[in-house]
Amino acid sequence: MSVHKITLIAALGATLAFGTLYASAQEKYGFGRSVDADEVARYDGDIHTDGTGLPAGSGNVALGAEIFEIQCALCHGENLEGVRAMGAGSMHEGRRDIELLPYATSLFDFIRRAMPLTDPGTLSNDEAYGLVAFLLNETGVVDDANLTLDAASLAAIKMPNRPNFIIDPASRFTAEDLKDN
Amino acid sequence: MKTDLINKPTRRHFMQAGVASSAALLSSTALAQETTLIPSRGPGDTIDGSVTYASRSPFVKDGKMRGSANGLSGGGITPLQNSQGMVTPSGLHFEVHHSGVPEIDPSEHKLLIHGLVGDDKIFTMEDLMRFPSVSHFHFLECAGNGMGEWMGPRGQTVQQTHGLTSCSQWTGVSLKVLLNELGVRGDAKWLLAEGDDGARMTRSIPMWKAMDDAYLAYAQNGEFLRPEQGFPLRLIVPGFEGNMNVKWIRRLEVGDKPWWTHHEVTEYADPRPDDKIRAYSFVMEARSVITSPSAGMKLNGPGFYEISGLGWSGAGTVSKVEVSTDGGNTWQNANLQAPVLPKCHTRFTMPWNWDGKETTIMSRTTDDTGYTQPTYDQMYKLQGPIGMMHNNAIQNWHIAQDGEITNVRS
Ligand code: HEC
Repeated sequence: MSVHKITLIAALGATLAFGTLYASAQEKYGFGRSVDADEVARYDGDIHTDGTGLPAGSGNVALGAEIFEIQCALCHGENLEGVRAMGAGSMHEGRRDIELLPYATSLFDFIRRAMPLTDPGTLSNDEAYGLVAFLLNETGVVDDANLTLDAASLAAIKMPNRPNFIIDPASRFTAEDLKDN
Repeated sequence: MKTDLINKPTRRHFMQAGVASSAALLSSTALAQETTLIPSRGPGDTIDGSVTYASRSPFVKDGKMRGSANGLSGGGITPLQNSQGMVTPSGLHFEVHHSGVPEIDPSEHKLLIHGLVGDDKIFTMEDLMRFPSVSHFHFLECAGNGMGEWMGPRGQTVQQTHGLTSCSQWTGVSLKVLLNELGVRGDAKWLLAEGDDGARMTRSIPMWKAMDDAYLAYAQNGEFLRPEQGFPLRLIVPGFEGNMNVKWIRRLEVGDKPWWTHHEVTEYADPRPDDKIRAYSFVMEARSVITSPSAGMKLNGPGFYEISGLGWSGAGTVSKVEVSTDGGNTWQNANLQAPVLPKCHTRFTMPWNWDGKETTIMSRTTDDTGYTQPTYDQMYKLQGPIGMMHNNAIQNWHIAQDGEITNVRS
């Protein structure tokens, strides 16, 4: 009981300090360790659709093509057709068509954290930028064999299929839930 | 079937006769010699103190079908054809992985919650288990359950057609309690949940759902999670597609917008026939399937059979399951076995006398939101040729005159 009293006082203090918080009647338990921004940064590698989180560095189509040949083609095929025996589908058509993506940020985020499948998290930022440039050019989303991407230019890409992503009533969500920018 | 019914009473009569005569003629040795008792099987296996976790009888072979083209992305499907009741044994729970199954020491596992909260905090497993706990029975279903059936009947058994759904009792800590502990800012609308597998699986979760009924589970069916179910900690987002129930969860970021992560925009969104893509189709809508008799089984002649199956809904509670044994012409309400819980498998049964004629049997669920499981024809109006996820259409099993059961479309 006494522990709860102490945490309750701490909770009052916290509520005063953060006036904008949702009102909550819950008493504070006080478990867990508060962390500073530096420690958060060591965990937080995701990329937001507005480009927040994109790292420094840059890469072009040529760099991407080179890395793709060495590290990716084994599973994804020389022409992005996908090697079924390796469990990878086409990036040109069907569900995994790069052209269907609503944001280029998702592509960067996914490649950098999850690929190559057998060695995730090993690509440099330059390589990840280059691979996105290569894939966008190869699939015709951005028709530019000299495309070079960095944080600003990648965040600025408008994917042509974005307007086709909709909330329909069958989703049981409203357009308000979808608002993303 | 017939011989069984005859044999059972006969054996019972024989034993009753044995008891009666030995009581009446206790001293008679003549009769005792005539009656040969079934010999005792003698003492069983010795009780081995080194076996601390029981395994199944060697006669029970029932198992998941597991596999992966590359060893890392893939999983295993639940043998629903032999399922009983509503709970899936933890060892038979379906699994889908995108970067293999990590081995995580719980004493080293940490969960960071940060972003639009009053205080960014890291919790150890010990911290999380000190919070008040919640326990719920909930089903989990992969959005891709039945995707192989979209273009036509392919699965040979209900395991192959529907084996990406399972149901467990999960225990953990409510997200609402954790988020209130840190204090959520008024502009917070979404959460990013991130797993600690190699691929760092990430999904955006709407804040209203997190505050409604989502929780972080550390236990499944009374024991700690299995590694392939996210040990030591996974997210449970009741009724939402399996992929959102992020396993091995290491981080929750509170934000004001969804992240549109790779998995939520490609694989798990639903392309419609008009080339629009239905985003945020998170809810696993009402569905059911007859698990017995089902494809791959054979009826042993006309007579009584219990039709048994599972119904569920990610939007609420199953209010009824109807069964048709005449190809969808007439429907009858099945019995719902207690307990009938929200966002949970519900076992249904219906007595049936098969007349030995060719027919098709099927089931459909209605939930307490009034939604009824659709037919394939209805589904095809909603989703296009590559929109094969979230396939909750009615499943037909064809019964041939010889009792053979197969997967058919109509
Ligand atoms: C060992 C095989 C393998 C290698 C090597 C590999 N991938 Fe993949 N990749 C896969 C598989 C399998 C998937 C589907 C993953 C899933 O959904 O679980 C995938 C998915 C993807 C996707 C998402 C679109 C899609 O087709 O599903 C992209 C983009 C991608 N990989 C890029 C790369 C890049 C870039 C490299 C090289 C740096 C790479 N991959 C190396 C197997 C591989």
